[in-house]
Amino acid sequence: MKRAVRVGAGEGLVITANRLLDGAIVWLSADHTWQTAIQRAEVLVPEAVVERIEGVQSRAQADGVVGIYEIAVRPEVGGPVPVTMRERIRAFGPTVHPQFAYEQQEGAGA
Amino acid sequence: MTTAIGQYQYDQVDRDFLAARIEEFSEQVARRLDGSLTEDEFKPLRLMNGLYLQLHAYMLRVAVPYGTLNAAQVRAFADVARRYDRGYGHFTTRQNIQFNWIRLEDTPDILRLLADVDMHALQTSGNCIRNVTSDEFAGAAADELVDPRVHAEILRQWSTLHPEFTFLPRKFKIAISGSPNDRVAARFHDIGVIARPGDDGRVVFQIFVGGGLGRTPIVGQELYDSVPEERLLATLEAIIRVYNAHGRRDNIYKARIKILVQALGIAAYREEVEAELAQMDIARYRLSPEMVASIEARFAAPDLQVPAGAADILAEQRARDWVFDRWVRSNTHAHRSEGHIIAVVSLKTPGEIPGDVTADQLDRLAGLSERFAYGELRTTHLQNVVFGHVRQDQLYDLWRGLVEVGLGAPNVGLIGDIVACPGLDYCALANARSIPIAQKLGARFADMTLQEQIGALQINISGCINACGHHHAGHIGLLGVDKRGEEFFQMTLGGRADDQAAVGKILGPALPEDDTVDAIARIVDRYLQERSGKESFLETLKRVGEAPFKEAAYDTV
Amino acid sequence: MTLFNLGAREAGQYAEPVTLADLAEQGEACSVVLESGDDVAALKPYLNRLELVVLRFPIFRDGRGFTQARELREYLRYSGEIRVEGHVLPDQADFLKRCGVESVVLPEGSDVGRWERQLKRYSVSFQRSVLPEKALDVGTRVAR
Repeated sequence: MKRAVRVGAGEGLVITANRLLDGAIVWLSADHTWQTAIQRAEVLVPEAVVERIEGVQSRAQADGVVGIYEIAVRPEVGGPVPVTMRERIRAFGPTVHPQFAYEQQEGAGA
Repeated sequence: MTTAIGQYQYDQVDRDFLAARIEEFSEQVARRLDGSLTEDEFKPLRLMNGLYLQLHAYMLRVAVPYGTLNAAQVRAFADVARRYDRGYGHFTTRQNIQFNWIRLEDTPDILRLLADVDMHALQTSGNCIRNVTSDEFAGAAADELVDPRVHAEILRQWSTLHPEFTFLPRKFKIAISGSPNDRVAARFHDIGVIARPGDDGRVVFQIFVGGGLGRTPIVGQELYDSVPEERLLATLEAIIRVYNAHGRRDNIYKARIKILVQALGIAAYREEVEAELAQMDIARYRLSPEMVASIEARFAAPDLQVPAGAADILAEQRARDWVFDRWVRSNTHAHRSEGHIIAVVSLKTPGEIPGDVTADQLDRLAGLSERFAYGELRTTHLQNVVFGHVRQDQLYDLWRGLVEVGLGAPNVGLIGDIVACPGLDYCALANARSIPIAQKLGARFADMTLQEQIGALQINISGCINACGHHHAGHIGLLGVDKRGEEFFQMTLGGRADDQAAVGKILGPALPEDDTVDAIARIVDRYLQERSGKESFLETLKRVGEAPFKEAAYDTV
Repeated sequence: MTLFNLGAREAGQYAEPVTLADLAEQGEACSVVLESGDDVAALKPYLNRLELVVLRFPIFRDGRGFTQARELREYLRYSGEIRVEGHVLPDQADFLKRCGVESVVLPEGSDVGRWERQLKRYSVSFQRSVLPEKALDVGTRVAR
């Protein structure tokens, strides 16, 4: 699962995981809670990521999340947009079923 | 209508076992949720029950043993799709069905719902012996020598919670066929078994070992030409015991049996197996004729009564309706019994997702099977559905029932019959999306006249090197690769999974999605120019070599 | 450490097991510990004096120990105790037992009840094992 994350100019990192109960994709927000909308994710500089992941990793069981890792994003007006296709699909839903796309506006909390 | 069909009928012992297995899984889920199982410990346990954690949700892969289903089971799939998924099921390249939007906490309930119709998700994943696949035309095909389903069921039972082989170095796939025309890709399995009648009337088995796709595609080699039925289980135990003891566990990419067979060589592997057999308590593993008969007794054959003139009625309907006639040309296969025919339902409607079915379509398939096919359906490793025994005078009505729900695509075995894994849209392992390029190719070749003109041409698409789309075995194979976050596709030509199994050869550099679609269109054009007489794509490729196709593919790029 | 018995026979008390390499030199040793990569055939010369064979599981996913146990029982006709230690899960209790393992070294804090429950879970199995299990009927199933 863990892939080397390249961070290009103007890009940041957000932390993501899947929820244990239903597998839903969640994003770590600035208040250290897991949110279902990437728009709520906190964009971090690379230096901050390791410590933040260690922190949430130790609470993963209590928070009910699995598979925590970081991904590169470009900050855009509507919120962070992942750099890779894989993570864009995670953030916005499968490309082959428009009806399954995730809400692009402020999503509900985890 | 006959209710008993070509699958093993459960008894109370089997049902009690399934209930106990679900209870076990249910407790495992509870232990995961309360933290007494870590994710690393839980993962192999849930995988052995067919439950993956994919990109967006959990995915549950339900076993379809030797690809045989009854109507109630198909209705149960529709029920799962509606209540626990988002209205879809997806038929896989190993004859199973999977659901992409499952919640962990719902899984025990889903398993109970499936158990009510004698279905389960046992060993559809994990490093154990996987669901055994077989010929989708079993018991029906005119070219069949032995009906492989009885032995497939014996292998299913034998491999279920096998005490020694549940924590193998890697997954282990077995396929069994009873026809000289290999429809199960036996040579691309960890163990491929081809059954045929022996001299004394009992079945004997040709056994291939060490085939597989994935990162290192290898055509399996013959380990034995004719293993007697009594020694089938002993032989399989010996083969897998050697693998369990010596297969690599230090590198997941080198852990399949094919790597061990390559490292030792087939002769040395055979010696190892012989050494095991020499020490084994053979009597304990003996598969007696009585045992086989007791399993066989749980199967029922359909009562193939057909009114006189059924074939004439079909001929008349074909003459009257050219659309039907075209479908019959591509989507049917000869039945062993006069007046009957095998019908293949394409799940490759142009523009749709290969292998996907809606809950409503599942219900329709179940209903049609009851009206026209003795309540029985089969799944294929090419992601289609088969009605095994259809009366020729009823084929037209069956076809109309399919067309009504969008399942009338007349493209089986043609270029539109594309095999594709779920790819990056769903799969946590994928590097590229498989479905959109399949849809684009489907649209590009949507013209049925063109498809018929092109003839037999199998396209297989995998979204990563794990090769669930069997791209190495496709006449044209596409492998999705990730180049700095963008999707590219590597093309292979000349793969095939039949008795002349071969691994496709890489044509050249990977191309972006749209360029790949264009390149394939040029390859096909080139084939139509180069072909001599009624040559198939593979025959032309064999005769002229890959150079003209390489030239065509990279012509304008 | 807790010793859990998978079958009827009580786990015995033995001197500290020696490694396979040391077995030849320590002529009085009656217990040995095998790593998952060790070949049980190497125990052949010592079967007369061996009373305990410990199979060490480095991680529960490493299934070589199941084959080792079965080979000990089936090929070498070893009738002494087979014990498992290391990383094993209660979910594996029945597999271990049916391969001929008799006792398990449980880590601190293990829930013995889970191990006991797993052994009673199934009333049928679908293949013969090294245990003297009775055929359920004429088919391949065995009663538990």
